[in-house]
Amino acid sequence: MSLDAIPIQVVHTTPPGEPGLTGNAPPLLRELLEQVERLLETGVPSAIDLSALPLTPADMDWLRNALGPGEIDVTLDANGESTLSETGCPGVWWITHRNEQGAVTSQFLEVTFVPELVKAHPQDVAMGRETLERLLADL
Amino acid sequence: MQGPLIDTLARQGVTRRTFLKYCATLASMMALPPAAGRAMAEAMAAVRRPSVIWLPFQECTGCTESITRSHSPTIEGMIFDMISLDYQETLMAAAGHQAEEARQNAMKANAGKYLLIVDGSIPLGQNGAYSCIGGRSNVDILKEAAGGAAAVIAVGTCASYGGIPKANPNPTGAVPVSDIVKDKPIVNIPGCPPIPVVMTGVLAHYLTFGSLPELDDKGRPKSFFGETIHDRCYRRPFYDQGKFAKTFDDEGARRGWCLFELGCKGPVTHNACATVKWNGGTSWPVESGHGCLGCSEPDFWDGGGFYKALSAPADPLKFAAAASVVGAAVGVGVSFANRAKKNKAKATHETITVADLEK
Repeated sequence: MSLDAIPIQVVHTTPPGEPGLTGNAPPLLRELLEQVERLLETGVPSAIDLSALPLTPADMDWLRNALGPGEIDVTLDANGESTLSETGCPGVWWITHRNEQGAVTSQFLEVTFVPELVKAHPQDVAMGRETLERLLADL
Repeated sequence: MQGPLIDTLARQGVTRRTFLKYCATLASMMALPPAAGRAMAEAMAAVRRPSVIWLPFQECTGCTESITRSHSPTIEGMIFDMISLDYQETLMAAAGHQAEEARQNAMKANAGKYLLIVDGSIPLGQNGAYSCIGGRSNVDILKEAAGGAAAVIAVGTCASYGGIPKANPNPTGAVPVSDIVKDKPIVNIPGCPPIPVVMTGVLAHYLTFGSLPELDDKGRPKSFFGETIHDRCYRRPFYDQGKFAKTFDDEGARRGWCLFELGCKGPVTHNACATVKWNGGTSWPVESGHGCLGCSEPDFWDGGGFYKALSAPADPLKFAAAASVVGAAVGVGVSFANRAKKNKAKATHETITVADLEK
């Protein structure tokens, strides 16, 4: 049975005139600025754990709109889909992890040139080398 | 487990990125810095499996159900595979004398090193006769098993604080683990049932750092129980704006307003439901329209009614006015209002039930 079959509709939309903004999102821009400066000066990446902050869906939307869309979207299919999207500010990545049911399990803003998850681990690359060697041996 | 965990995972079809992603999420839930996920993944891949003995006492098996039926069995189950679960009555294949023998063997072989998990409270009435396993009382078994344990993890509100068995009038004389075990570190993971990932998180912390996580004054891991349900509730902005649902089917309820006036115990309950949620992150009590019962707090069963607002008089007529004055004294107001109601009912020959008084 689908949930639509239940006649009672729960309305979560905030009443008109109240966008649900808590004011918790704007200060994050300043923190991001500091992290971007650190990345440029020292090359050290950093991250903000969005799911650990009291942000409403409206706050999240505001932050996403403020940062704007970027050029790169990476989709990771690992025990549920994850998206790693560069925002309109290069070096600031919006990372969303989902479980197999599609629910968001954690969200981060990572300030880095390339997120660690995107890079292949040397041990995995070594396994790839073995695969290639096997392919060549079978030729 | 042979070889590094990452190889074991790979054999079971779990890639490095899947494991890293899981550890990132786990680190986030444990309020560790974002970079800790990678450290956890590296550390957990290298550890030796600790022996774990799990003793069930006066319990309903709900805690075991909660943990073993978690929605993403692949990885949560794998953290479970990283321990050597040497005794768990409900899950183990052995029974009777064989099971008891397995426990004795594990205790001897890993003396001083094993983790002891307990779910359920311990009855002390009638010399502990209310709950026995293999002819021995729970309190006797607990004392023996705790003697050789490195640490004790009390899973569920019963083991942590006595829970429902200890509820007034406590017929079996039930007590929590901490009343019996005094000389070992104890972690309480309360909840009725507790959230599966809290359990996994404590184990992951032990495997990663070789120590138990930091605890609050009630023995709970601060990372999961550091804040109240109310602190992290997505309906909190409505509380701040003074917008409350007055009944379970009014306009406010439909709009998802705050459930404080309907008895939500969120403001005094420390747990991670609001952030971690339930059933694989699907929803949680407040999101499905019901207030928090406060199940992770001591004596929640005797808290004076699940549908009574925390600090507002129970008289519905005075409700709207009083609710805005948060922090008003309850006790006198409630009993006075109820007495008045009862007297009025008597005078008009109305029948009155306990349910009426709860309104």
